[in-house]
Amino acid sequence: MSAILTDANQTPNLTPGQEPGQPPDQLPGQASDEPPLKKRLSTRRNPLSLKRWQRFKSIRRGYWSALILVVLFVLSCFSELLVNSRALIVSYDGQWYFPTYGKVIPGTAFGLDYPYETNYRQLQQQFSETGNWVLMPVVPYNPFEISSRTNEFPPHPPSFSERHYLGTDPVGRDIVARLVYGFRIAMLFSMILLVCNYGIGVILGCLMGYWGGWFDLLFQRVIEVWSNIPFLYVVMIIASIVVPNFWLLIAIMVFFGWMQMTWYMRTATYKERERDYVAAARVMGASTWRIIIQHVLPNTVSIIITFIPFSIAGAITALTSLDYLGFGLPPPTPSWGELLKQGTDNLQAPWIVSSVVIALVVLLTMITFVGEAVREAYDPKRHTYYE
Amino acid sequence: MSKKILLILLILTITACGGNDDSTSTDTTSYVTELVEYPVVDLPEGLNWQTNLDDPVLGSPDAQRGGRYRTFVPQLPLTLRTVGPDSNSSFRSFINGNVLGLISFHPDTLNPIPMLANEWAFSDDNTTVYYRLNPNARWSDGQPVTADDFVFTQAFMRSEFIVAPWYNNYYSEQITAIQKHDDQTISITLGQAKPQSDLLFFTGISPTPRHFHKLDENWVNDYNWRVAPNTGAYQISKINKGKFIEFERVDNWWGDEHLHYFQHQFNVDKVRVELIRDMQTAFNHFLRAEIDAFDMTLPEYWHSKSKTKEFANGYIEKAMFYTDAPQSPLGIYLNTKTAPLDDRNVRLAFAHAMNFDRVISTVLRNDYVRLPGYTVGQGDYTNEAIQARDYSIDQATAYLNEAGWTERNGDGIFTKDGQPLVITLTFSQPHHKDRLVVLREEAKKAGIDLQLQQLDTSTAYKTIMEKSHQAAYMGWSTSFRPAYWEGFHSVNADKPQTNNITNFNDPAMDQLITDYRNSTEERERIRLAHEIQQLIHDSGVFVPRYQIPYTRGAHWRWVRLPEQFATKTSSALYFPFGVSGGLFWIDQSIKDETMAARKRNEKLPVVNRLDERYLKTDQPATATR
Repeated sequence: MSAILTDANQTPNLTPGQEPGQPPDQLPGQASDEPPLKKRLSTRRNPLSLKRWQRFKSIRRGYWSALILVVLFVLSCFSELLVNSRALIVSYDGQWYFPTYGKVIPGTAFGLDYPYETNYRQLQQQFSETGNWVLMPVVPYNPFEISSRTNEFPPHPPSFSERHYLGTDPVGRDIVARLVYGFRIAMLFSMILLVCNYGIGVILGCLMGYWGGWFDLLFQRVIEVWSNIPFLYVVMIIASIVVPNFWLLIAIMVFFGWMQMTWYMRTATYKERERDYVAAARVMGASTWRIIIQHVLPNTVSIIITFIPFSIAGAITALTSLDYLGFGLPPPTPSWGELLKQGTDNLQAPWIVSSVVIALVVLLTMITFVGEAVREAYDPKRHTYYE
Repeated sequence: MSKKILLILLILTITACGGNDDSTSTDTTSYVTELVEYPVVDLPEGLNWQTNLDDPVLGSPDAQRGGRYRTFVPQLPLTLRTVGPDSNSSFRSFINGNVLGLISFHPDTLNPIPMLANEWAFSDDNTTVYYRLNPNARWSDGQPVTADDFVFTQAFMRSEFIVAPWYNNYYSEQITAIQKHDDQTISITLGQAKPQSDLLFFTGISPTPRHFHKLDENWVNDYNWRVAPNTGAYQISKINKGKFIEFERVDNWWGDEHLHYFQHQFNVDKVRVELIRDMQTAFNHFLRAEIDAFDMTLPEYWHSKSKTKEFANGYIEKAMFYTDAPQSPLGIYLNTKTAPLDDRNVRLAFAHAMNFDRVISTVLRNDYVRLPGYTVGQGDYTNEAIQARDYSIDQATAYLNEAGWTERNGDGIFTKDGQPLVITLTFSQPHHKDRLVVLREEAKKAGIDLQLQQLDTSTAYKTIMEKSHQAAYMGWSTSFRPAYWEGFHSVNADKPQTNNITNFNDPAMDQLITDYRNSTEERERIRLAHEIQQLIHDSGVFVPRYQIPYTRGAHWRWVRLPEQFATKTSSALYFPFGVSGGLFWIDQSIKDETMAARKRNEKLPVVNRLDERYLKTDQPATATR
């Protein structure tokens, strides 16, 4: 039975009054058509998705925010090429080295007298007289190294000549480097968290709505109890016993964060399962899994999508506050929360707190703009009539 | 049914209200009606009674009485008891600061000075000290302090009702007898003969008010919040749980007239100790003049955070005093039972990979100086030949090569059999994080991957006490004489809850420690102490970090200080109690003047004080900048 349904050449079911060959106008709660999976996932071919996309694009601040965020995130994936103490290219005695990715190149490789990692900034100065050369990234610091100056103590104020564009933190680490790498960690963290939370929340919520009965009742109570566990305290207790690493922190946050989506998905599925198309699928013998994934989910996707930006913002805020309180990622991981803590502890060095606060506000505002735009684009009221 | 629920709700509300009631009155009633009289023992003939009234008095004759001094603590105590469960909190120093002993030691000259006892004498076998009590000594409730209170102390401290094994043991095995010779004369006997100055230190106990304590199985609970009578200048007068504890000067305190060394000391009428959990918040309170003085030992406070209007306009003054006190053995303790630290070469390489000089010259702004060894500032007992190992990549590499760690991997970390050299360092204080990341970066250059494990204070303590750490960043408090049995004798190795956190196990060390503990000859003890320190140094189990050669702080200018505003052994400038505390006074007219100037935003002359009388000449005086 299911073999027939997955057959891509199957003729789509037509809603009454619709001509064959004409793309179905899929409305939320009204979708009784069954286009092949490939088609449904392609936004270009679905006029509703196209309409939503155009609507999203027409909200300029949301659209531009999304664009900037994507560019920033892609750039941050290559932070090592932009913000790093390792050189991009070293030309030494006619041979080229690319130290960015890969093993540590000890100073001895370039005729220096130390066995640990080469200091490429110094190397650049030493090479300036010879035929060799070094090409450094825009910001020539990594987020861990401590720069010291004679007779001056960190935090150092911003300085273009030292290429500390936003100054250093109280340990002497470059703030730009900590911001950039902290951004990458925060974004990765929130996205992984999102996938895990939504994976559990959506499936469980759908099952609750679809099966109903004792399963629904049981999990309603479980979630109610679960939601009342004070998340922050538990994180603090766990963090005081073991040092949380990236994955452990995600595990803890998923453990207490998966409930959020279940309520929405449960309600939506409850509504959807009474629709004819679900009944039809059931009659045709589709499995529960198939009905939920292939039939119900596509029709409730607007709920999920509108929540995503806000969940990402929430995850970034949560990670930042945990780091601020000292229960987050272990030192010396670059993190915005730690930077914020250092900034508020050292208000006499305003460049720390202002850099991180501005970065945080801009990032969260942009995500909120995207969220607003998505919500606007997916507003069902916009699609209940034909334009 | 609903009536029942209402009733339950009502009861709950009432009990809840009862729980919230902040009792601000304090309970100082005596509970004992029948006082025990202890038997009188004859005093031996021919005792050579001594006293010491020749050392300088610390207080200033200019001091004025009156006013309220406001300070803060990060944690209020869980109990007011000073023995028993939960009593070992930081607040205990406030309570014990008002508990006088038989004698004390002058904080500058380190000579014994009279407190509750006017005179003392030694037995010929160097185990017993005889004390003649000051007949004017009074408890804060007016009762006289008598020999019976001291004899009772031994019964009290040995009692199982106080749930304090350490005291039970101390008053049984260290102090073996306390005897009454008449109402004003007692003797205290130790289980082991000691040099005379040590004898005074170990027998100079404080009495327990026998008219106050009713010893039974409920003692621990009953006495949690009862304020015990004391003999010092202040007594707790108000407790607001979760907010503050206030001390008030005892009316007609007996010491004002009868304690020579406490003239012009303990000048304020009231001391309010507020609860402020966070140091930065406390500093903000200080800048708003809600706290009178602030400890500025940390370099960031002294150098950067003091760049405010209050300092620049002269409302707040800075004071710094170089001290010459015994130094805590602060540093990294390596657990010899965990691989690869079981190899001495790895430990020595580790010591050479710890760049404390870099920490001092960056984060600590050259204020602190490197600690040379385990025992520092203990006078003759310190082995001056021992110096901390310098940061040296070459030496670290040589030791590691010898131990079989020869190859550096792609991250520049040494490997052996494919395993990288990773050492986990356990620490608990958040403000140490900035210092440790410097060590981590420098250790990486030497090919050691130092992983930082920040645990909450009690978890870190538990981890270390269970010996499940690899390297611990911590220190012990100092004692009168260096002690090694707890930390280095093999009977304390390989078992939890002992202070031998390096699991040090060496028969040669055991022999030295046993000899050191049994010797009564000072010269011999010093020689043994030097050998022990050398052995600790050679084994590389302890990597010393830094010492703080001063005490310093800042105060609003109405807090007035004597000409010599701290002592050789002071650990704080503005602590209101104790032998070297309470030297300051509060001048109300200057307070009014300062507050008026502050309102008008008017500049006053900036006064910063520096006292270098105990500055050692080989010490860099950079901190004064």
